[in-house]
Formats: sequence, C-alpha cells, structure tokens
Amino acid sequence: MTRKRISLKRLVTNVPALIGLLLVLLAVGSAVFAAHLAPHDPVAAELRLRLDPPGWDPASKAKYLLGADAVGRDMLTRIIYGSRISLMIGIASTAISMVLGVTLGLLSGYFGGWIESIVMRVADVQLAFPFILLALVIMAIFGGGLTKLILILGLTGWVSYARLVRSQVLSVRELDFVQAARSLGAKDLGIIWRHILPNVISSVIVLSTLQVATNILTEAGLTFLGLGVDPSIPSWGGMLADGRNYITNAWWVATFPGFAIMLTVLGVNLLGDWLRDELDPQLRV
Amino acid sequence: MFNRGIRMLGVAAVAMSLIVSGCSGNTSTPAPASSGATPSQPGAAAYKDKLVIGSALGDPQGSWDPIDTFVVAWGMVASNIFDGLVDRGTDLKIKPGLATEWKYTDDKTLEFKLRQGVKFHNGEPFNADSVVFTFDRLLGPEGEKSPQRSNYTSIDKVVKVDDYTVDFKLKETDPVLITKLAGYGGMIVPPKYIKEVGDAAFDVKPVGTGPYKVTAYTKDSQVVLEAYPDYWGEKAKTKNVVVRFIPEDATRIAEFQTGAIDIMQTVPVAQVKSLESDTNYKVIKVGGPGATALRFDVSKAPVDKLEVRQAIAYAIDTQTIIDTILGGNAKRISSFQGDISFGNNPSQQPFAYDPAKAKDLITKAGATGAKLDLFFSSKSTASKEIGQAIASYLKAVGLEVVLNPVDPQALSSQLIPQAKAGQMHLFGWGGWTLDFDNTAFLLYTKGQMWNPSFNDPKTNELLVKERGTNDQKVREQAFQELTARLRETMPDVPLYQSMAVWGTSAKVDGFTAPPDDRMRLSSVVVGK
Amino acid sequence: MGSYILKRLLHGAFVLLAISLVVFFALRLTGDPVMAIMGQGNPTQEAVDAMRRSLGLDLPLWKQLFKFLGDLAMGNLGTSFRNNQPVMPQIVERMPATLTLAGAGLFVSLLVAVPVGIISAVRRGGFLDIFGRIFALIGISFPNFFLGIMLMLVFAVKLRWLPASGYQGFKYLILPGLTLGLILSSIITRLIRSTMLDVLRAQYIQTARAKGLSERLVIFRHAFRNAMIPAVTFIGLQLGALLGGTVILEQVFSWPGVGRLALDAISNRDFPLVQGSVLILATVMVIVNLVVDLSYGFLDPRIKVGGKGA
Repeated sequence: MTRKRISLKRLVTNVPALIGLLLVLLAVGSAVFAAHLAPHDPVAAELRLRLDPPGWDPASKAKYLLGADAVGRDMLTRIIYGSRISLMIGIASTAISMVLGVTLGLLSGYFGGWIESIVMRVADVQLAFPFILLALVIMAIFGGGLTKLILILGLTGWVSYARLVRSQVLSVRELDFVQAARSLGAKDLGIIWRHILPNVISSVIVLSTLQVATNILTEAGLTFLGLGVDPSIPSWGGMLADGRNYITNAWWVATFPGFAIMLTVLGVNLLGDWLRDELDPQLRV
Repeated sequence: MFNRGIRMLGVAAVAMSLIVSGCSGNTSTPAPASSGATPSQPGAAAYKDKLVIGSALGDPQGSWDPIDTFVVAWGMVASNIFDGLVDRGTDLKIKPGLATEWKYTDDKTLEFKLRQGVKFHNGEPFNADSVVFTFDRLLGPEGEKSPQRSNYTSIDKVVKVDDYTVDFKLKETDPVLITKLAGYGGMIVPPKYIKEVGDAAFDVKPVGTGPYKVTAYTKDSQVVLEAYPDYWGEKAKTKNVVVRFIPEDATRIAEFQTGAIDIMQTVPVAQVKSLESDTNYKVIKVGGPGATALRFDVSKAPVDKLEVRQAIAYAIDTQTIIDTILGGNAKRISSFQGDISFGNNPSQQPFAYDPAKAKDLITKAGATGAKLDLFFSSKSTASKEIGQAIASYLKAVGLEVVLNPVDPQALSSQLIPQAKAGQMHLFGWGGWTLDFDNTAFLLYTKGQMWNPSFNDPKTNELLVKERGTNDQKVREQAFQELTARLRETMPDVPLYQSMAVWGTSAKVDGFTAPPDDRMRLSSVVVGK
Repeated sequence: MGSYILKRLLHGAFVLLAISLVVFFALRLTGDPVMAIMGQGNPTQEAVDAMRRSLGLDLPLWKQLFKFLGDLAMGNLGTSFRNNQPVMPQIVERMPATLTLAGAGLFVSLLVAVPVGIISAVRRGGFLDIFGRIFALIGISFPNFFLGIMLMLVFAVKLRWLPASGYQGFKYLILPGLTLGLILSSIITRLIRSTMLDVLRAQYIQTARAKGLSERLVIFRHAFRNAMIPAVTFIGLQLGALLGGTVILEQVFSWPGVGRLALDAISNRDFPLVQGSVLILATVMVIVNLVVDLSYGFLDPRIKVGGKGA
C-alpha cells in the first residue's frame, strides 16, 4: 500500500466533486463569516413577527428574505448562524470518534492479543446496540444539550474507525519497511506514529467526511425525538425538527433549513466520494 | 398543555368539586333515553356506521385496566367503555351512573342503591358483588401497584347489603369521595371475567358496562370500539368507533385533512386559522381548568430575592405570548388556576407588562447580568417557543436565561422534586379538581414533591384553615387571602389557562368537546 | 463449519450478555420508575413503598441484577412495570411491523440501488454516473423524518393516493417503506458502485473480456456476483442503522413497531420493556450478521467459511 496524492487537476474536471467543493465552501464560509453576513440577531425573539412570510410575499411585514420563524426571528440569519452549529456538531463529534477509533484501531491492529480482543468485543457490543435507543437512554440520564449531543455522537461513532484502521494495520504491519524499522530497534509507538498512521490516514479522511454528513443528519433526528439542543441555538436540525409543525401553513420555517442540510450533506458526500476515488478506491464506506 | 400526556385524573379525583355538591343527595334516575333511530337501524342511512378519532395523547401506556393508569389518554377512550357508580360528563357535573341514588346513613357509611338490569359487555350481570370486587381489588394486593389507590384510601371496605345495595365503610370522613367515584379508580369492573381471564388479559381485553365495548386493540396503533346494544343508558348512535393514536402533530393533521379521521384532538395552534376558514371542518375550543405557570426554585440566587421574581413577572409580556404563540387560545390568570376553579379571585389582576419597572427592580436587587436556568418539556412545541420568548423578554431587562429542554417525564418526576430544575421551570397543571385546594396544597406547602423550596407560614396556615372545614364561605375567604398572599410572595408567575382545541369534519354532529379530554361518544354521528 | 457456528453463537451470546448489563445499569440511572408511574397521583409513602415492593425495586441492586439475569437465562424477559404483562409477547407481537418496514425499505433500496449502482460503475464519469450518484445522494441528504413528512404531504394530503399513516395493509406500507428505502438506497448505491468498480478492474474480468464474452455477460455473470459479497456484508452491518431509522419513521407514520414500543417504554421508565426491546433488537442484529457471514459461502464458493476471512 502506497500513499496517494490528491490531484487538483482531476478535481477541476470532476463535475460532482466541484459541486461538492462549492457547497462545502458555502457552508464553511457562512460559518466563518456569520457575524458579518447575517442581517439580524439569531437569538432574540420578536413575537410580533411570528411566522412572517418571506420577503417576496406581499403579506410580509418585516420583508425578511426567507421569512421569520415561530418566534419571529429572521430565517436567513438563523440559517447562516446554523451553519456554525451544524458544522460544529458534525465536525466535533466526528473528531472525537476519529481520535478514539483510530487510536484503538492502531493499537489493536498492531499489538493484537488481549487489546485487540477487548476492543473488538466492545465494538461488537456497540454495533449490536440500537443507536437511537442508546442515545435516548443516555439523554434520559444526563439530559440534553449541545455538548452532550456531540459527546454521544462522538463516543458511539468510533467503531467504524477502529475496524477500518485495524484491518489496514494488519496488512501494513507485515510490510518490509515496517519490519525493517522494527529490526533497527525502533520503538513500537514510534513505528505506529511514523510508519503505520500515514498509511491508514487517507481512508480515515474519507470515512470522516461521510461521518460528518451522517452526524449532521442524526442531530436532526434526535431533535425530532425531543432530545436536542436549546431551541434558541440555531442548529439546522433543530430548526427543521421544530419547523415541521408549520410545514403546511408556514412552509419556509422547515423548508429552508431542510435545504441547508440537504445541500451541505450533499456537498460533503460528493467531496467524500471524490476523495475516496482519489485516495482509496477500495474503501467501502 | 405542557403535561398533556401525563395530565392526571388522579389529581382530578382528589377534589371536592363544588359545582357537584348539589347533586350529592338523592337523585332521581333519569329514564334510560330510548332515542329511537340508531344508525344501525333502517331509516338512519344518512349516517356512516364508523367514526374515526385521532388521539394526540397516544396509547394509554398499554393497559385498559382502570386501576393501572392515571393518564388522560386512558380516560379519553375508556370513559366510553366503563361506568362508575357516579358519572362526571362533559358538563363536569356529577350524575348518577351505575348507582341510582346514594346517601350517608351515618358519618362513615355511604350507601348506594345500584341500577338494576345492567350487564357487562360479556353478559355478566352487574350487581353489588361487582362493586365489592372492584374495590376489594383496588384496595387489596392487586391495587398495590395502582397509581389510583392513594385516591381511595379513605375507604375502609365496601360491604354488600343486598344484591343492589352496597355500603361504603369509611376510615375517615371524605367529602371528596363522590367525585372520586367518577374517577378512574372508581370504574366498575367485571369480577367473573377478571377471575376467568386474569388481570393481565383484562389489561388488553377490557370489559365494562359502558356504551361501547372494545373489539380490537393494537398497542400504539389503535383501539376499535363497537356500540354495546344492551347498554343501560342512551345507546350509542354510531356503531363502530376507531380511535387511532397519532401523537405526531404533522401526521395527525395530515390524516385529518385527508379525511381519514373525523374528529381530531388538539389542533396545532398554527393550523387553527386555516381550518376555521374552511367549511369542511369545524374547530371547537373548550376552556379547561388546565393552567400554566413559570415556577421558581426560591432557594436559588438570584430568584431567592423577591424583587427579582417580581421583575421577571413585569418583564414578560404574557398577553402577546397568548396572542401569538398560543393563537389566542388561552386566558391570562392571576393565580395558578382557571377561572372556573373554586378559589379563583376574578378581581385580582395579573402583573402588567412593564419592562422599565422590571429593569429598576433588577438593578435595585443587584442582579443585572445574572444567569438563570429555565427548564421545560422538550416535547412540547408551545413550551419551547414560550421558553424562547421568556428568554428574550428577560434579556431585555438584563437577565441571561439558559434554556434547558428536557424529557417531560424526567422534569416532573426527577428534576423538580430533586431541586435540579434550575431557577425556573415551565409547569402545566391539570387542575381537574376545579378547586384550588389540591393545586395549592401540592404546589405551595413544604415537602411536597413539586415544591422543593417555597415555605411560607402564612400560606400553610391558610391551607390548614380551608382544609379543615366544609363551610364553603370560610374556604372561599381563605382562598382569597391565599391568592393575595401568593401574589405577594411569588413562588411562581401564573401565566395562562389553556383551551383545548378540537377539530371535526363538518359532517360530524353531536360531539361535545370535553374540557377534561374524557370524550363521550354516544351521541356522535358522522354524515355520509 | 459446525464448530465455527458454535463459536459464533457463543460470541453472540457474549455480546447480548454485555448489552443486557449495559442496559440494566444505564436504566437504573435514569431515575425512579415508581415516581414516574405514581408521581402525579400524589401517593402516600405507603403506596410508594408497596409499588416499589411489587416491582421488585426494593431489593438491593445486585439482587435485582441476578434476578434479571436468572430470568433471562430461562428466556424470561420479565413483566412490564406498566401493564403487568410479560414483556416477551408484547415485543414479539410488534416485531412483524418493524421487520415488515425494514424489509420493505431494503426491498425498495435494492430495487433502486442495484441498477443505479451497476450503471454508475459501468459508465463511470459519464452523464448517467453523475446523475445516478447525485440522485442517490439526495436520499441520504434529508433527515428521514423530513423526507417522510414531505412524501406524506405530497402523496397523502395533496394527491390523495395513499393513506398518510397507520398499519392496516399494503397501502399503508408504501410511504414509510419508500422513505426508508430511499435513504438506504443511497447508501447501497454507493457501495455497489464502488465494489463494481473494483471488480471490473480485476484480473479475471479482464480475462473474461479478452475471451470475447459479451459485456453484458461479463457484468452480470461475473462482476455483479462478486460485487455482492461486500455489499451483503455491509447491509448486515447497516442493520443497526436500518432499525435505528425505523424508530423515527415508526413515530412519523404511527407505525406500531418495536422502536415505538421501546421509545414509549424509555419515557415511561418501564425498565423490563426497555431491556427486552433492546435485547431483542440486538438479537436480530447478531443473527443477521451471522447469516451474512454464512452466506459468503453461498455467494462465492471459493470462500471457506470459518477460514481466515471470517
């Protein structure tokens, strides 16, 4: 297995990947520059403007471009700020899973033995546990909130990393340069860090893009079940879940966050597909 | 509105409702209404033989046994399956049920004359043995698990006098008892059937004496009822009733708009206007005794200071919340009870919206910039929105609010009792007793589970006073003082009393929206 | 083979035991079920104690645990705190609804994913590939409840073609099945595409082509069959997500499956019912994964089950 490099030339000629990149940049851009882009306050309620229609509608009072939500806040502002929260949920939880999963995967793949047995057994248990129910029970114990949500998503998502990395380590471990390093007396942790990790990292990156997308969606699902975050914090999932009650008479409240999620997740996935094709076409995620 | 799913009849049943006191003597039996044309008979072809209802409350936790439950989801349906000795209908007045008359033969003996010729759905006759069995069961080992039992502990035992007469022997005088007997735990169950099939089977295949019998039940999906032809009272006009459990608002409204359900419980606020303007539907609003308040844990800074609590009351524009978030389907209150509740003082005014005054008070208390936690149910759209509105109102006067949406079950059974629900929480109260006693006792006396910290000697004293007597004048006087006292001491900010909003297809006739969610379906018909 | 199955069964038993322990302890941290059941009734302390005794919650934790595990060993999942009925039949009664929904979702997804995945792979980089992939991605880009509500609004409320919710027959299965299917199909499409791409590059396919076999025959006889092996494994692993997805869709479509049962049970603090539901769902997953492993032999006779690959 050799390291692959990403070719920017191939990116430019790959239409789906370009679309993906564009969508991701859009989301990241609005997250970074939210304070400059957003026309209004994302949190303060203005009940007078409850469910005010989008600006082009003659009935619109405030002329907010995308209308107002159930407590009268500008939808556009909420969606722009929402990119921050949703990307943070997606990325932070994925980072936790990644660090945990890659570490356990490396250790169990490299050392084998009891470490491997324990890690893989715990992974099996985790995989067989219905995730939503696990999340519900955990939330019933510790309550909801953004941090806890990220932790739950992060701490339950490590299994796919651990399995992936372990299986790759098993093949890398026997390669000549690793054996050579070992015979030269290199320390195990050094070998893992210097020789093995770089060889598995590309698959990990691919898996992570997909995980980010999945976690953004899962947050929406958990909010739907009533386990989400503070409703004044603008997360797309939360906005969508809370807006579903207004879908027939104030369609903009759910539809715009729905599109925001769709476009971002689509973008991340398209980019992830391309990365996979570039870095590790054998990877099945 | 907040505790929809867990609004408890238990609370209701503990009460002496004053509007019923006129009925508690000997009452003549109304002749069983023999309204001729039931749709199942020829000549009534104008009506459908099936009525479908969409319940917002969901499944009654899997059991139809009256003593297993105290959720309104049960009473909503089961009030058509079972009868008690007395009956509290949609007008909230007590009428004779399976008993035709009753009287106290002495201080601790209440005698009931039972209705004759009544049969359970399985053909088993109703008589004194059924009543004795029902209460032996409730007060015996089977009742140990019953959340209903504690409502009936004033009963020592029920004794059969003859086949159609029973005596309730009481441990202590209990002026509330008659009302309680219209509550869930007082529903009469069939002894032979239960002994035959066992308690577990009875849970899912209930048999009562009511106008409808259960023919099929799929948990979390639906329960199918069929008119009971031998019902003792007015026979049901529509032969088949299906009650579908659709707690998800978006789904329930979709079903309603496609015509798949004829009667819809709880029309979401956002849909009310569009349904009202559509002639295919009727929207019925009924003021219930349910009320909502912003409650404080007065042991926590900064709401341990009275000024801060007052400031919060002045800072919130409750009327605007009612007009917008609640679509006008609520009324302001000045104490934690509805206007039909005994003990309400109509001349007491709610706090005016006065943010400037609120700001002053907060500055005086030195609480500017203080952080407060607000807890509320994560499963209620209204409380999520009201919570956010309150946070914005308080921010405007210099208080930071952290919103904590939590599982409603955890909120009411753990967080509040353990004083872990922050400085403030939104709290809904059924108030089905229609008497302030129950509410005030449970919410304002020390040591009660939903009152972690408020303790005011004067309040306790007034409660002892109103409890100690049956003289309604004295009680009323005590309640007037109590509501004034609570306004001074402010353990909570009473916000509003809510209305239940029902939707029916325009073809539905004879449906009375129940203020307590206990539907009565006998007279309902659906046009073709 | 026999010893392999035995080993896997033991392994499955271990997984289930671990899950039972986790659920048992986690639930006991969620609060007092007695207060959840009786709280609003303003019970006396006596009544609370009586209830606690009758639910067996007055025993020390270790005794409760041993009783739970002992019962479990006898195949007894206990009695519901709420309706006093044995838990097992209640869950078994709900399994068909969940399995029907999951099965319908899987069916729809394969119907979409197999052709789209194959075409995408064969015409890699072409218009059909791009179109197919974006189409497939749309399904996974919406939260499932939102997709469900949208489909409901279109097909039930606007067009009146299908019932919005409920569980009374085939018509009722279409919308939830379609929702779940669309979501799964995007996952499976990607998978089939990538495995097909892999296989098409393989030596034996080149050989088959060189031998002059028709492209159609090469794709379907040789490539597709081999591409299915990883696909099947993956579907097995995705079962958790599949059943997880049904929990939310059961809520949206008022579908009386195990997911809703468990959801209600958690909110009612009905410990035995939660324990039972989780265990039974986990058992289904363990069994399916076992079947998946065993099915390798069927899909590719060269793989000896129980060998290194497993």
